[in-house]
Amino acid sequence: MKVVKQQDIKLDSSFAEEIAKRSGENVFLCYQCKKCASGCPSRMFMDSTPTQLMRYAQLGMVDEAMKKNTIWYCVSCQTCSTRCPADIDIAHVIDTMRIIGQEKKLKADDNKLPLFNRLWMTMIRFMGRAYEPGLVGSLNFLSGKPTKDMALGMKMIKKGKLKLFPSFKKPFAMMKMFSRAKKLRK
Amino acid sequence: MKLAYYPGCSLHSTGIEYDISTKRVCEKLGIELVEIKDWICCGSTPAHQRDDLMSIALPAKNLAQVRETGDMKEVCAPCASCYSRLKFAQQRLADDALRKDVEMIIDAKYPGDLIVYHMLDVITEKFGVEAVAQRTTRSLNGLKVACYYGCLMTRPPKVTGKGQFENPTQMESLIQALGGVGVDWNMKTFCCGAAFALTKTDVVLELTRKILADAESVGADVISVGCPLCHANLDGRQTQINAKFNTKFNIPIFYFTQLMGLALGIEPKDLGLHKHITEVGDFLKERALT
Repeated sequence: MKVVKQQDIKLDSSFAEEIAKRSGENVFLCYQCKKCASGCPSRMFMDSTPTQLMRYAQLGMVDEAMKKNTIWYCVSCQTCSTRCPADIDIAHVIDTMRIIGQEKKLKADDNKLPLFNRLWMTMIRFMGRAYEPGLVGSLNFLSGKPTKDMALGMKMIKKGKLKLFPSFKKPFAMMKMFSRAKKLRK
Repeated sequence: MKLAYYPGCSLHSTGIEYDISTKRVCEKLGIELVEIKDWICCGSTPAHQRDDLMSIALPAKNLAQVRETGDMKEVCAPCASCYSRLKFAQQRLADDALRKDVEMIIDAKYPGDLIVYHMLDVITEKFGVEAVAQRTTRSLNGLKVACYYGCLMTRPPKVTGKGQFENPTQMESLIQALGGVGVDWNMKTFCCGAAFALTKTDVVLELTRKILADAESVGADVISVGCPLCHANLDGRQTQINAKFNTKFNIPIFYFTQLMGLALGIEPKDLGLHKHITEVGDFLKERALT
């Protein structure tokens, strides 16, 4: 266990306030019961537990929360949010931290998840619907593993489980939707 | 019974057999599915991990499209992820300020009076398990089925409105009506790692291994699922899991609609059963289910 010295802790609630402003979730309600950590299927891959993450948010320990791999290993399974006795939507808190991390372009463990999210949203913006071969191809290429899952992909094509060509659903309307959302956020 | 049908992206690609079998089964039961006109992606996990506003706007646009499609008050989604995003959007859009913003983005009025169902709810709650049982022409013959719900079909209960979210049993009652047996097991609502399939595959292999191992340890013949992402992981990753963990899994993974189809006397090829990565042809012959 890592011991944090008192002089290294800067008590600052601005991080918790930002989370509350964006998500409506109050991290100060957490009393560290560890139910979220116990139920988390992805816990074994994380640098710290969801319970610790909530503590970091309470204490304003932004680096501990945002620069470890923890938030990038949340599988969005909703188990923590379902079981939290303080009724905090923890998965939503983590999503909010991820959004802040992506906006500030913080280095996120291997950066593959932000890349995937960006590619996915770009795909939807121009095509309206998912186009898996294009997504997998560009993800693998950009993350330097061009042959990942190739055997499985070939099998799926043979079985007719992958569309060879994308379908475009009202691309102009989609692009307009995204730009209206962008304007609204400003 | 007439419902608006939102297949979602996966059902037009990796989960195509779910789309095929759902349509065939509903046709057989007399449930009319009307596909939502010009539906778009619900945003799925990438949207709520990256862009909070669009993660609500995309499902809202699809719900608004229901009005364009016809006079329907009920929507059903077979994909657990689509279902979850539609339900999340409905919950969040109770907020007036957000609804105004979203209506501006989607350039349409958001219909607040729709009811969203997962396909399993349509079958077990609206249509009724008894009514399905009356229409079966073939029994699953005591097939031991591990019913796998995954995450989003039941969780979070505040959004899905499900009373049984830690130990749901609706799929078991359906399997029983088809002549099968729902086995008692631990992993029915455990996560398969769905959203990480392409980014953190190691997580998926580990979580999926746990699910397969538990099903095998309780003696299940097959696993039944209601989500294309769960299916892609459980069905498609068995070879990779066997290679990585030195296991010998060869467990057939069915959509619950495919098991229903078999019991309703529909031919396996009309249920897309030949499209599985873990082959089920021999298994079906062995169990006299073809």
